[in-house]
Amino acid sequence: MTPFVRGTVSLHDLYEKYNDRVQFLSIYIREAHPVDGWWLGKGLFGKMLDRFASKAATDVYDPQTMAERRQVARQCSTTLSYGIRTYVDEMNDAVNQAYAAWPTRLYLVGLDARIVYGGGLGPYDFKPAKLDAAIKSYLNQIGAR
Amino acid sequence: MTNTIKNFKEAKRWQKRHNAHAPQIGELAPDFELRDVEGNHPVRLSNFQGQKPVALVFGSFT
Repeated sequence: MTPFVRGTVSLHDLYEKYNDRVQFLSIYIREAHPVDGWWLGKGLFGKMLDRFASKAATDVYDPQTMAERRQVARQCSTTLSYGIRTYVDEMNDAVNQAYAAWPTRLYLVGLDARIVYGGGLGPYDFKPAKLDAAIKSYLNQIGAR
Repeated sequence: MTNTIKNFKEAKRWQKRHNAHAPQIGELAPDFELRDVEGNHPVRLSNFQGQKPVALVFGSFT
């Protein structure tokens, strides 16, 4: 699922606000709703996606090779334009699985490499506003306001 | 062979299986090294340890 803008806080807002103090890594993982999978691009849901999440693609097939995956990730990165460099998970989905990240998920990792914030499973618990609060609280805690 | 998730049932199964092992608050974040969309600029999570907190944003295009 595209980490599209949800609510009043967008990922782009967070990046602009904190990128001098927080390293943002956007990680492209296995497609959530490709044409050849659990496709939601048809019917009423497809029309809703077009209207309310216009940056989400509905015509993408799940990449079968790393070259294909990089190509789709590149299109995704260009379209969404968060300003955050996008990295691509390998075809074995190792990072995706380690973080149970599919279809979309947010985490904050502290200076000690421990999890500070772990968002719930997307899309319903994909909440940039909660990440915002977690970053703000953590930066206060480490004295990097 | 494909691991494409085909429907709601498969999605719930995948999430149940992997979410049970997802890192929790206070636990060490699993380390990884990935490359960007051009296959360049490798990044390793542990390289930021002691340098900067890291926000991880996972997602896809659909």
